[in-house]
Amino acid sequence: MATNLEPKLIGAVPQLSSPDCDTGLYYRLLGSWWIAFLASALFVVSGHLLLKAGLNNIAAATLATGQSSSTLAGILQPQLLGGLLIYSLGTVCWMRAVSLKEISFLYPLSSMNYVLVAAASAVLFHEVISARRAAGIVIIVVGMALMNRQSSGGSSR
Amino acid sequence: MNPKLMIWSSVALSAVAQIFLKHGLTKFQARRRSGSSNLVAIASGILRQGFIWMWGMCFVAALALWLVGLRKLDLSYAYPLVSLGYVLVSVLSAVFFHERVDRHRWIAVAVISLGVGLIAGS
Repeated sequence: MATNLEPKLIGAVPQLSSPDCDTGLYYRLLGSWWIAFLASALFVVSGHLLLKAGLNNIAAATLATGQSSSTLAGILQPQLLGGLLIYSLGTVCWMRAVSLKEISFLYPLSSMNYVLVAAASAVLFHEVISARRAAGIVIIVVGMALMNRQSSGGSSR
Repeated sequence: MNPKLMIWSSVALSAVAQIFLKHGLTKFQARRRSGSSNLVAIASGILRQGFIWMWGMCFVAALALWLVGLRKLDLSYAYPLVSLGYVLVSVLSAVFFHERVDRHRWIAVAVISLGVGLIAGS
């Protein structure tokens, strides 16, 4: 479930819409790249956390009742639904941010999501972050920062 | 199916889905009549692409695998693995679309892979 994948792809999507809908609420709310970017980070991170919270609830309920809940009951968990919704909002905001600012600039910033999700998982779900896991996350952030240095592959705007 | 395998498959399927989406949209753009800018025409044109449907199916399968796999795993384990998507999409774009991937990007891909490798054993 990767969010911000291929620069060209995601950059291409807003181009499909006609420019004359530029006056819509969406464009007024997300008029600057940093608002769109911050909103995307907030929604993507909180969406993933909500999904996990919903899954943890299902696991706890299964443990308590001794019977595994059906798939349908699982999907109807408010946290799962809310998580999916918020995560999709995050994707929309990300597309908007990418349409306003170079992806080479946004990618390294978005890698902070990995740090935020891990930190929040430790606090909210009491997950134990081993030194090895922390090092892996830091190395991924470094790799993402390297990824777009002088990238000739991205769609330039 | 082992939860870890589900998460890894979900990440791999997401990358494959991106390749299908890119291919479908490229084919759509190539066939698109100039000047047809109304949303219904665009949407129906996109929906006529088989690769767009392949993207949709991979996307749904990846989401389902993610949710089922994540039930038994730490989010701080699973979420960083999403970054493997950048690695896979870079490799697949080079192989299938003959996109030029510059040296910086390959170095970044190697660094991200190292990070993912560390997470995998954590």
